[in-house]
Amino acid sequence: MTAAIELKGINKSFAGKPAVRDMTFSIPQGSLVGLIGRNGAGKTTTIRMVMSIIFPDSGEISVLGKKSAVESKDRIGYLPEERGLYKKMKVNTFLTYIARLKGIDNAGLDKRIRGWLERVELLGSAKKRCEELSKGMQQKVQFIASVIHEPDLLILDEPFSGLDPVNARLLSTLVDEQHKAGRTVIFSTHQMSQAEAVCDRVIMVNDGTKVLDDTPHGIRSRFDPKTVEAHPLHPLSDEDFAALPRLPGVDSISRKDHRLIFALDGRERPDQVLTRIVQAMPVSRIEIVRPTLEDVFLEIVLKAAKTPQEREQLLLLAAGNWGEGSSSGD
Amino acid sequence: MNKILTIAIREFLAVVLTRSFAFGILLPPVMIGVVVALTPILMNQKPPTVHGHIAVIDHSGKVAEQLANAFTESSIRSRREEETKQITDAATKAIGVDAKTQEQLTKGSQLPGSEPSLPMLTVKILPPDTDLEAAKADMRAIAGKRLSDMGPDPRLALLVIPSATVEGEVASGSDAISYPDFPLFAAPRLDVEVTRDIRTETGKAIVDARLKSSGLDASKVRGLISRPQADMQIVTAAGERKSNEALQMLVPGAFMFLIWISVFTAGQYLLTSTIEEKSSRVMEVLLSAASPIQLLAGKIIGKGAVGLMVLLLYSCTGVLALIAFAMLDLVPWQNLVYMVIYFAIAYFSISALMAAVGAAVTEVAEAQSLMSPIMMLLIIPMMLWLPIIRNPNSPFAVGCSFVPFINPFIMILRISGSEPIPAWQIPASMLVGAAGVVFAVWAAAKIFRIGVLMYGKPPNFATLIRWVRMA
Repeated sequence: MTAAIELKGINKSFAGKPAVRDMTFSIPQGSLVGLIGRNGAGKTTTIRMVMSIIFPDSGEISVLGKKSAVESKDRIGYLPEERGLYKKMKVNTFLTYIARLKGIDNAGLDKRIRGWLERVELLGSAKKRCEELSKGMQQKVQFIASVIHEPDLLILDEPFSGLDPVNARLLSTLVDEQHKAGRTVIFSTHQMSQAEAVCDRVIMVNDGTKVLDDTPHGIRSRFDPKTVEAHPLHPLSDEDFAALPRLPGVDSISRKDHRLIFALDGRERPDQVLTRIVQAMPVSRIEIVRPTLEDVFLEIVLKAAKTPQEREQLLLLAAGNWGEGSSSGD
Repeated sequence: MNKILTIAIREFLAVVLTRSFAFGILLPPVMIGVVVALTPILMNQKPPTVHGHIAVIDHSGKVAEQLANAFTESSIRSRREEETKQITDAATKAIGVDAKTQEQLTKGSQLPGSEPSLPMLTVKILPPDTDLEAAKADMRAIAGKRLSDMGPDPRLALLVIPSATVEGEVASGSDAISYPDFPLFAAPRLDVEVTRDIRTETGKAIVDARLKSSGLDASKVRGLISRPQADMQIVTAAGERKSNEALQMLVPGAFMFLIWISVFTAGQYLLTSTIEEKSSRVMEVLLSAASPIQLLAGKIIGKGAVGLMVLLLYSCTGVLALIAFAMLDLVPWQNLVYMVIYFAIAYFSISALMAAVGAAVTEVAEAQSLMSPIMMLLIIPMMLWLPIIRNPNSPFAVGCSFVPFINPFIMILRISGSEPIPAWQIPASMLVGAAGVVFAVWAAAKIFRIGVLMYGKPPNFATLIRWVRMA
């Protein structure tokens, strides 16, 4: 199958500072791919280069079989990270203009726009000026603008950013529909859980470099579980907790609410440790905790951290969900 | 091409369908028309009729009687009519209207309601031994009062004619005869027309009295010393018509100004729309649908259509006015074609630079410093207007005709002037202009491509040059 997007050794610097380094990946047609990484990791720069809005310093890009997105712009839908609308323009006029720019004829265009506005519950706002819409409504209009011409490839830069849970779910459904309709969808996000829930493939970017490229399941399975979580049958007193035996393969034990968290030292297999815990104490529930994408990502970036201060900063960022609410691009 | 056209149509409609365009572009000609129509009416708004008398203490005994005759109702009326005629004649001579139009103008000044309001004045001759302060007392009594509250026959002015003013006096230590001035005491806020009339007529009466004393006929002397004016006729292929020196200066200026205002208006719209698209972040959406070059081309063409519309609108208004005044021969049709061509050259070169500035900045305020060199290019032709039309074939004028960016303005001044210019200079200047356009669009495209996605600190001029080199 031809790749929808193919990047080979892409590099891009701004004022001598590298933003993307040796980026190489291939996205097959029909896949739903998440480009994840914290703010400033290089996601938007990569996407802009794919869109031929900016151009790489070196490397090769192929989009929908062409050497540049310029040659196939009408087959690509794009939702930029920086949302933009003509403030004074009416919603339906804006969508008509974008659709015309994307090569759609006037025939049936009104009907198509009405259909989409109805789908996102904005039919009543068709004649409103864009500036009269709320931020979430504007974002939905921009999403329509990116799909109105039924593109083969849909690129969404931080599509869920700033949306309330209801609209985020609606958008997630719409993205899934586009994928099921056979379109290649690639979206960037710094919300790892979002990517984990939606994508069938994840490309993880850190500091301008691709650090992982796999399915969410593949990524999790490649990273060994590090903890076992047990719910004791009876709540443990401080004396009981202090008297817990030291078990082979367990590095340390901590308490969280009524749960016991066994940190594994990696010398024993997790299932062996699990059996030993069950033998040592009565439990109502016990499980090997698989790492989330966020855990994996945190582990990777912590490993890459050069100083203790940087590690500390990364942990703080992770606690704040990697800069949610920040408006800076990357 | 389809995308460029789509962008161009939107850019055009986004301007011409706005109220601000209607007010900003269509309103000025309408306003000028309204002002022209209203001015005579406003000028003829009759002030309260001045009534009262002018007191005269005539020590010479030779002036007061003529002065009394000068302020009868019939004298005042005939004076005013003569003044109106002189003004109309001077104006028609300056703009060189034909006989038919002059007749219409004269008729217009005689329309009901256009007659001036005449003051009701009389002259009261006081004995030469009248006490001056006592004579002024009557004036002090009405000082500060409104005309309607001054009574039936207020004293509006007091003239004192010293006999030396008429007879002359020999200055001490010299044989020369001098004629001293005469004092005039006037009521506050006396109508300026009346004051001027009193001064002029008194002066005239004094001179007449002097001439009479010298045994001369005053009216004959006035006739002899009146200076004749040249009645100039312009000989054209179609015949002769009145001279129109003022218009010969104004027409080239009008042509240049039409191009200037159209280029500046359209360029300004282009600048602000580019900045707006950048600051509202819609630029990236547009760039996902069209290339930067397509976007730039569409924007320039769309706003160029706005400029052309402004140019044609104002030109048509001007042509209609010339037809109405039967002066269409002032503007050969070829000049209208040249105007459109030079507009295109000026617009594409200047607007491309303005689009580049718009793409480089994020706020209108940031564009000010980068706009300065472009504004200089636009100001230079304005400064050179007079020297160029006075001598359109001077080496300086010819040299300026081959300087890109300003040559469209210079050439239209020279072509529409009274002196023909060598024919080869027209296509040659167009070629130079076209080269300027190619350079400006090339540089603008490079700046535009980089600038549209640059945010943060606005670039300076050196940075723009670097962008041109690197892109």
